[in-house]
Amino acid sequence: MLPDASHINRYGEAEIIASPADHLFGKVLDLSENGLFLVDSERKIILWNEWMVQASSLKREDVVGSAFVDVFPALKGRRVETVINAALDTRTASLLSRSLNKAIFPLYFSEIGGEQQRIEQSVTVKPIQSEGHDYCLVQITDVTPMVQREDVLRVLAKEAEEALQEAEEASRFKSEFTSTVSHELRTPLTSIRGSLGLIASGVMGTLKPEIGRLIAIACNNTERLLFLINDILDISKIESGKMDFVMGPVDLKVVLLQSIEANQAYGEQYEVKYHLNDVVDGTTVYADTDRLMQVLNNLLSNAAKFSPKGVEVDINVIRKDEMIRIEVRDYGSGIPEQFKSRIFEKFSQADGSDTRQVGGTGLGLNISKAIVEQMSGVIGFNVPEGQGTIFYIDICLFKET
Amino acid sequence: MGMLEITDLQRDYITEVLNISMGSAAAVLSEMVDEEVSLSVPEVDFLQRSVAANKFDQANAARMSGVTQAMTGALTGDALLMFPEEKTLSIVRILLGDTVPVESLTEMEQEAMCEIGNIILNSVVSSVADLLKKEIVSSLPRFIKGTGNELFSVETGDEDDLVMFLKVDFGLESQSINGYVTLMLNVDSLHDFISQLDEQISAA
Repeated sequence: MLPDASHINRYGEAEIIASPADHLFGKVLDLSENGLFLVDSERKIILWNEWMVQASSLKREDVVGSAFVDVFPALKGRRVETVINAALDTRTASLLSRSLNKAIFPLYFSEIGGEQQRIEQSVTVKPIQSEGHDYCLVQITDVTPMVQREDVLRVLAKEAEEALQEAEEASRFKSEFTSTVSHELRTPLTSIRGSLGLIASGVMGTLKPEIGRLIAIACNNTERLLFLINDILDISKIESGKMDFVMGPVDLKVVLLQSIEANQAYGEQYEVKYHLNDVVDGTTVYADTDRLMQVLNNLLSNAAKFSPKGVEVDINVIRKDEMIRIEVRDYGSGIPEQFKSRIFEKFSQADGSDTRQVGGTGLGLNISKAIVEQMSGVIGFNVPEGQGTIFYIDICLFKET
Repeated sequence: MGMLEITDLQRDYITEVLNISMGSAAAVLSEMVDEEVSLSVPEVDFLQRSVAANKFDQANAARMSGVTQAMTGALTGDALLMFPEEKTLSIVRILLGDTVPVESLTEMEQEAMCEIGNIILNSVVSSVADLLKKEIVSSLPRFIKGTGNELFSVETGDEDDLVMFLKVDFGLESQSINGYVTLMLNVDSLHDFISQLDEQISAA
């Protein structure tokens, strides 16, 4: 680096620079890993270290004593000359970065095989005062390895970005494929359900009991298949961002009463009744009515499925600042511990054997979570004291703007 | 308290002087990147250090990044140029054109930001030195980041020291990016500064 440390002030500027190169300081400068040269107030180069000799192929005796602009005629009037003048005239220190000044000095290193390559440079220009005279120290750092490293980084980052785009593309294709297939499946299935329904109802003539039983099984499973396809369609809409939401003010009590009524028959299958606790009239939330109903239907039907026979499901509405919490509480056996962490994941049900017993696709809560989050809400569950589970959704109160 | 009252005339004069030097810094940058760059100083204040730090954090909850240079001579302390971190990122990437799609500046990009800061801070410091008719020597630029308070606590100095607090508009590709330049002024140099200012105003 620079000469005797005691002559370097706290900003790294040398106060004294040895002039003759045969001096010890000169030898030190010659060992520097940076290019160093010194310009005096007459703009003459008075020091030229070994690094500069090697990189410029200009001998010390040809450079020292010559004017800067004679050594580098191409740099006359360029920024590097301006900042050297500023260092000498106003003692201003400057940095010339590699990125904003491509290859400032004509400096090269020789590669194996004899080919020459231009050195990528970062240049600092610092004023030095010594015994009443002004000098300017120019230091050149070879940043070629750093530039190469960042070129590699740039390529890698671009590749990563492209890979991400491809993955998103593939995922979009998958969603679109799922959506198309589901649509195509739904149409014939709807007519199968219609036909089976007609046969089951007896309008085509009275059925023998064993045929009636088989038709009933076919009807139930067709129904389940349709639910499954509708859920898959919802999932693919959510994943491709195509699920539309019409957000607006929704009267909460009206929606809750409608959902309860729609689930009444389903609840009766499990001998479960829904009980809505007090809701303040005119409580208005900001939501999409149909989607909110879909979430409530999912929570209400789940609660019925997992309730013991003859027990009520409680529905509570609690105001929390600008949010409304809707709680659906069942008194069932609760959620198994190991299942709690993945309850909102796709195709998750507590265990396979349950599926057959209670029905359902295992997609409902995943869809509900996506819907609630789209409406800027939160879905979750609590384990209350005593028996059962509370599922809740927090959604925003509607605010007049 | 916490602020030094200066007359409208004094404020106008400083603002004009600074805008002229910012204009020349912008010209240098424009030529380097071959693109229209504008720099202006819409506001100048003299604030106590703690007040300035708070002002930063209030205005910018986000982290700031920028460039600092140490000054010696007529002024001792740090000169800072700061932008909200993501703005620094966009300034460098607009100016360099060739971008690395990563979330923070690479070493080479930090170095480029240092040069941009060096050009701007040198022009501010030299116009202040001209006003003082004294010499201020500044060190090479260094890239820094942190919250307003962190960046100010890096500085050493008396609690009574004042900060010359400049708002800077960096105009690039029809975007206007707001940043700040701050210079530490000890009380003595501030009095010098004001009296030189009055002298020049009456001479003008």
